[in-house]
Amino acid sequence: MKKSILLSFIVLFLAGIFLVGFNSMAVAKDIRIGGIMDTTGATSDVGKDYAIGMDEAFKYINEQGGVNGKKIKYTWFDYGYRIPEAITKYKLLKRLRSTVIMGWGTGDTEALSPTINKDKIPYVSASYSAHLTDPAKARYNLFFSSDYSTNARAAITAWFDKKWPTKPDYGKRKPRFACCYMFASPYCSAPIKAIKDQAKMLGFEVGPDQDVSLFALDTKSQIMALKEFKPDLVWHGNTTMSVSATIRDAYALGLGADWIINNWGFDENLPRLAGAAAEGVMGATPCAFFGQASKNMDVVVASAKKYDPGIPMDKRLIRTVQAWGDALITWEALKRADKAGDLSGPGIMTKGFETMRNFDIGLKASPITFTATDHRPATGCLIQEWKDGKFQPVEHVDLKARWPEKWAKEWLGW
Amino acid sequence: MSNVWLPCGDYHENYAKDQGWWQSRVIKGKMILVLALMFIGIPLLAPDYWLSVATMVGYTAMGALGVQLLIGYTGLITLGHAAFIAVGAYTSTLLVLQFPWPPFFVHWGLAYPISIAAAGIVAGLWSVLFGLPCVKVKGFYLILTTMAAQFITVDFILTQYVSQIGGRGQAFSLPPGTIKIGPWVVDSDFEVYYLMAILLALMVIMLANLLRSRVGRAWVAIRDNDIAAEALGINIVWYKLLAFFVAGFMAGIAGAFWVSNTAALSPEHFPWFWSLWLVGVILIGGVGSIHGTIFGSIFMVVIMELLQMLAIPLADYYPKLLIDFAFIKDMAFGLAICAFLIYEPNGLAYRWWQVKNYFNLWPFSY
Amino acid sequence: MELFLMTLTTGILVGGIYALVALGWVLIYKCSGVLNLAMGELTLIGAYVTYAFYEMHIPFIIAVVLTLFVGVILGFLTERIFLDKLIGEPILSVIMVTVGLSFFFKGGIEFLFGTDTRVFTPPVFALKPISVGFLKISPVYLWSFILSIVLLIILVCFFKYTRWGLSMQATADDETAALSLGVSARFVYAAAWAIAFMSAGVGGALLGNINGINISVGYLGLLVLPAVVLGGLNSVPGAIVGGIIIGVLQNLSGAYLDRYFPGGVKQIMPFAFMAVFLLFKPYGLWGWERIERV
Repeated sequence: MKKSILLSFIVLFLAGIFLVGFNSMAVAKDIRIGGIMDTTGATSDVGKDYAIGMDEAFKYINEQGGVNGKKIKYTWFDYGYRIPEAITKYKLLKRLRSTVIMGWGTGDTEALSPTINKDKIPYVSASYSAHLTDPAKARYNLFFSSDYSTNARAAITAWFDKKWPTKPDYGKRKPRFACCYMFASPYCSAPIKAIKDQAKMLGFEVGPDQDVSLFALDTKSQIMALKEFKPDLVWHGNTTMSVSATIRDAYALGLGADWIINNWGFDENLPRLAGAAAEGVMGATPCAFFGQASKNMDVVVASAKKYDPGIPMDKRLIRTVQAWGDALITWEALKRADKAGDLSGPGIMTKGFETMRNFDIGLKASPITFTATDHRPATGCLIQEWKDGKFQPVEHVDLKARWPEKWAKEWLGW
Repeated sequence: MSNVWLPCGDYHENYAKDQGWWQSRVIKGKMILVLALMFIGIPLLAPDYWLSVATMVGYTAMGALGVQLLIGYTGLITLGHAAFIAVGAYTSTLLVLQFPWPPFFVHWGLAYPISIAAAGIVAGLWSVLFGLPCVKVKGFYLILTTMAAQFITVDFILTQYVSQIGGRGQAFSLPPGTIKIGPWVVDSDFEVYYLMAILLALMVIMLANLLRSRVGRAWVAIRDNDIAAEALGINIVWYKLLAFFVAGFMAGIAGAFWVSNTAALSPEHFPWFWSLWLVGVILIGGVGSIHGTIFGSIFMVVIMELLQMLAIPLADYYPKLLIDFAFIKDMAFGLAICAFLIYEPNGLAYRWWQVKNYFNLWPFSY
Repeated sequence: MELFLMTLTTGILVGGIYALVALGWVLIYKCSGVLNLAMGELTLIGAYVTYAFYEMHIPFIIAVVLTLFVGVILGFLTERIFLDKLIGEPILSVIMVTVGLSFFFKGGIEFLFGTDTRVFTPPVFALKPISVGFLKISPVYLWSFILSIVLLIILVCFFKYTRWGLSMQATADDETAALSLGVSARFVYAAAWAIAFMSAGVGGALLGNINGINISVGYLGLLVLPAVVLGGLNSVPGAIVGGIIIGVLQNLSGAYLDRYFPGGVKQIMPFAFMAVFLLFKPYGLWGWERIERV
């Protein structure tokens, strides 16, 4: 008797949830934006800050009147860096009638690329993979930052320009270069072909790659294998967690190489985690660090304080700023498309994003240009290093200015 | 008097009827309703998202059928099944993408169906390969060997070698339109659901048939007491390897199906977590019965979806819930398994059997 | 040569930590027959609990001792709540309950602490390596090894010389006989789990010192399974030797074999080795053989 009451209660409860779930809870005139974020998975050390930043950005945008008066309803889900989950969440967001989707990881963005192209939903990702920059293959993929291959080429060029001449062996031999990254991850392996091409072009001797997992805590055997090659420069393509572990091990074993790191491995957490080993490490930065003086940074910091007061300011990272970057270009594109009267997917693309010419969002990001044939928003990247307790710029490398032929003809899309 | 409505009161008049699949009119009616629901009701009535949830249920069930065969019917505990699903998925993808099909095949859309069959066979053979040490060891060592199979296959061979074929980097992406069965392109959720339903029905029929036959009886004998089975003349090595082959075959087909569902592939789709999930599914559903597998799949997938639905409105008050939802899911999965094993060790199938008997024996049920 | 000696040393030192965790596992199996697949998560809990205490500015050694106490309590609770009811159930149920527990613990830890890597700050051991001859050994590894050996010795003495230890050995040997002599089986099970939590906890804390704590520490705990298979499921010295062998194997394969394969050999080598080993010696080096010839 008691069991059946309990059973019926459970059934009613579940039915209630069922009905609640079907309710979309949004007003008709709202613009719906979906988000697929990683707050619990392999890249969540950088993903969580990004997700929180994105949420704050949209709250701020709504306060500023939204898109010409229409509010934005932003619904996001965590997919734990598991691609099947991303695909499921994408279908859910499509069902919730999202016009734009803010995405995250390279693996799932590239996997979803054919689908969003078919569904014609603009997908603004946190993945800056160069495979997404060719509109012939990925018409609806966008992001605000310079892509990974540009970052990688800029980083190795900056070291070659500024650091190599200071080394004792300069002029006597070719500099030696190796890469550390997680072979199995699409994010990590995206720019490798490009950076090796740049290395060959600049005259480096390229050594064997080392596989370092995104989760790695102990990389001593990889460092010891690297020591045999005695590199001068090593590229690290992972996120902060494993990068810090590798740098610490390199320091402990005395590798003696300089490090250049992709933008997702280079943030305020790196010196915290790697300690003394982080001195002199260089990395690609698509925008300003959190709190670094620049246009619109006051808005970012104020929103962070207002909407998430529970998170201390010194724990916020550049990832929040990157999220704002993607949010701000989406806002601008939606405003332009709305003024032109077309808020459909293709409309947002042609009348919104692709009308941007040198659009400046501040935050020390390069001005953004999208065209119908080239979705690479920036032509170069600022390389910074951690020195004497703060981040200092090394060089802003403009790839288009230095190699205009190759930039225009050869390098698009990889 | 013969009463052909309820099982407890029917009297068959010939051997064929006695051996029949559906033994009374009530059961026949029930099964026809189920089939109608599966093939007609759900695709036409369910909204888009729930259709993809149903596809997920079907995929889980397909994977779990192999595990059920190994654990529930042959007594071989396996924690590495996701590896064989992965092998099937990769075989199918590579055949569709890399193999130079003559134009005849491409024109008539035979590439994908052939690749499904090939995926099943390759996965079955791979399964037998890892089954070879398994027939020598028992119990815990078997678990470890299957775990080794999982890690070696997915984390090493697939990640390092197979996914590099064709220079794609880690993830394969199938352009829309590559998956064709005859003239019919499998592209939308609707078509994927139908493919799932057909494959699942075929697999269930295949497995049920095997279990009714001599092979199935041998498997059950091995499960119950393998030394006695050997003493009775059953070649247990042969039947164990056959169990591995059939389970691998079914996993291969499930993997080939998965490719059409996601149109993209990478080793991350088949982590060890998925193997454990499948074992959890059959434990919750009931070890040793096919409908246990189906119940378990439905239960696990639907409960997780409902939890997610619940988290959305609550997220406005407790944002941490949405951010850390995957962790809550993990905890819920762990608790569900523990709770079921402690309080309901025979699974949902047992409850279903009790409910059925209540109605069958009415008005004399107790 | 230098590479070989360095990896060998690192392997032995790390192997000491694996040995400690493996010991806990063997203990649970010997005393109650439970095959515990949650060992990784027990390691994780220990690591995070020590970290939490350390963050409260408690000195490291005392934090480790406090972790021991927390481990004991958690072990008792786990055993009472989850495993008591499963005495006598088939082996699959018990294993799956430990799997369920592992998910529960993992989800709980991630929920409470998040997935960011945590580092012990200020660092417990110096970062700069000590030079022994031409070998550079990190103080972390050295001290971890010493601590594991000390704990191992304490545990072995516990088993040989105290009353509780002896009753645990008796239960492991023959449960019915022990019961008839008045040994409380429930106490023994609870004690086995408590000790496993303790040893895994300390192992986790030590592993966490090496490069930081995050969820990967749990995967390292999974390596304990090949270790116990190598050494034999029932054997305590086997667990120790197995742990050290696995540590050495992992590091050597990482250093030497990584260049022949595209990568990732380090993670799977213990499992691959174990699978092959089982073909030749199915009961490990010291395990009890059950002759069942068919």
